[in-house]
Amino acid sequence: MIEAKNINFYYGDFHALKNISIAIKPNTVTAFIGPSGCGKSTFLRLFNRMNDLIENTRLNGECLIEGKNIYDKSVDIDALRKRVGMVFQKPNPFPKSIFENVAYGLRVNDMGNKQFIQQRVEESLKGAALWDEVKDKLHKSAYELSGGQQQRLCIARALAVAPSVILMDEPASALDPISTSKIEELIHELKQQYTIVIVTHNMQQAARVSDNTGFFMHGELVEYSDTKKMFLNPDKESTQNYITGRFG
Amino acid sequence: MQKRKIIRRILDNITEKLLTISGAVTGIAILFITFFLFTEGAALFQSPQVEHGYALYVNSSNPVNNLQPEETKAIFDAEITNWNTLGGKNSEIKIFRIDDAFQIYPESELGENYELLPAKLGEIISKEENILAFLPTQYAPQGAAVKALAGKNIQPKEYFLGKEWLPTATPVPLFGVLPLVLGTLLVSIVALLIALPLGLGVAIYLSEMASDKQRRLLKPVIELLAGIPSVVYGFFGLVVLVPIVQKTLNLPVGETAFTGSLLLAIMALPTIISVAEDALRNTPRTMREASLALGATQWQTIYRVVIPYAKSGISAAVVLGIGRAIGETMAVMMVTGNAAVMPHSLMESVRTIPATIAAELGEAPAGGAHYQALFLLGCILFVFTMIISISAEIISKKKNYKTH
Repeated sequence: MIEAKNINFYYGDFHALKNISIAIKPNTVTAFIGPSGCGKSTFLRLFNRMNDLIENTRLNGECLIEGKNIYDKSVDIDALRKRVGMVFQKPNPFPKSIFENVAYGLRVNDMGNKQFIQQRVEESLKGAALWDEVKDKLHKSAYELSGGQQQRLCIARALAVAPSVILMDEPASALDPISTSKIEELIHELKQQYTIVIVTHNMQQAARVSDNTGFFMHGELVEYSDTKKMFLNPDKESTQNYITGRFG
Repeated sequence: MQKRKIIRRILDNITEKLLTISGAVTGIAILFITFFLFTEGAALFQSPQVEHGYALYVNSSNPVNNLQPEETKAIFDAEITNWNTLGGKNSEIKIFRIDDAFQIYPESELGENYELLPAKLGEIISKEENILAFLPTQYAPQGAAVKALAGKNIQPKEYFLGKEWLPTATPVPLFGVLPLVLGTLLVSIVALLIALPLGLGVAIYLSEMASDKQRRLLKPVIELLAGIPSVVYGFFGLVVLVPIVQKTLNLPVGETAFTGSLLLAIMALPTIISVAEDALRNTPRTMREASLALGATQWQTIYRVVIPYAKSGISAAVVLGIGRAIGETMAVMMVTGNAAVMPHSLMESVRTIPATIAAELGEAPAGGAHYQALFLLGCILFVFTMIISISAEIISKKKNYKTH
């Protein structure tokens, strides 16, 4: 469903991603792990063309989602980003009310009337397991929520526009353990409906939530396989070393 | 070790005290300035309407007991010539000034120090039933048939709603500030209408669309413009803008309210651009990315996320812009023509409050009514800017979901 073929990516002269190919199946959770600066976040951000925002970058290779190259000239980037949602490292709600945060994607994409938006916001907040906590204060500022709640709000915001893929860039790294476990539970549930790709620093988290894991180092995809196999019996020595905590 | 610790603690203490003192001094200085401004200004209403040291006298058979300042002015401008207009008898008004006394009586008859003058003046007034004498109170006429017109103090209504600003007119100066207030508002508001859309547009362009190279080039240039002295802007306005406005709009004179607005807009632009751009750029990158990642276009991101996020910074830009426009003196004085008349259109000369203060304070005798009237103008300006900053504060707080 998501397929990257021979991806090479450059920040100016820096070769950040080296000849990466990968295939990700629908309705699975795929985790990317690896030391800082290994290129895993850069790779993740290719799938919704977030790297386009950074000046002086260059990409070679193909990235197919549902069989279509998203870097083709005919691709509507805004429509692509609607299909491929993203949750960021730090919770980043807009300076708006809780309701308006979730409704934002619907409004900018002109999706549906007032009633539809209302319904969709409720569904999304339920989907992100936040509804019960916020249903009485939908019109309060999103900044009144705790960090964990804000991150779930950001997930609800991404769900609202009904994407098929959700990219998560270290979604729990700024959160406390309890909030983290809530997010992980949520990822499990979301798997039923969405394809999830998650970047994480936390190997236990990768082991807990993902079906497949990719290990990145120095801009290369060292190993990509079933999570269980990866953590119990990796093919490469460097994977073994990283997982057992010998470096990184 | 112990010693150094003690010294450090003492130093910390001293720094703390110094900071407290500087805060207190600043606060007191501001309070003092405000207090000074308002007490000087309020003293105007204790000044008599008639020029200081003078009074108006009539024959005691005259039924008129007092005159409004406008009436007095009209009489001395020969617009009112008959007492019946003022509720008196049907007879022509005969104006008498102190100089006229010297025509009638040679100086030798008035005594060495003019000690005989009051009696002589009394004689003159007693003889003429339709006389209106404007005389120094030092030589107040003496005689049975002399009546001094009741002198009232300057009324707030005359000041704030008066339509004529003639501070040096004799015998009654007119201090109507309405033309100045309206002139200031007109010039400032039009300047802002020009500068705000332009300034915000440039700020948005610089922060959202320009490449790094363009920004690096444009930003310092724009900030440099903010530092040019206003007199230099005035020169530019006088030499460049005034002829352009005059020619393109085919006006008799190019020194109009519109020219002032144009110049003020140019002057306020750098401040508005620079402050608004900083505010827009302060919107975190993650905020933009979040919006774009939801399928919003760049424009939707700008007006739905970036601008709301930068709202308080933008309103600061607006306030600074207005502050510059309302308080600007020199440049406006040089290009607006300085006619203290009620503005009827943008294409006429006007005069602003700051320009009036700057132009007239040097000529106004300290402590006199004119001097106090200028101080009161300063108070009006102060209140204006205060209202603006308070409303900007309210706007930026309203429905702002930011917690920091």
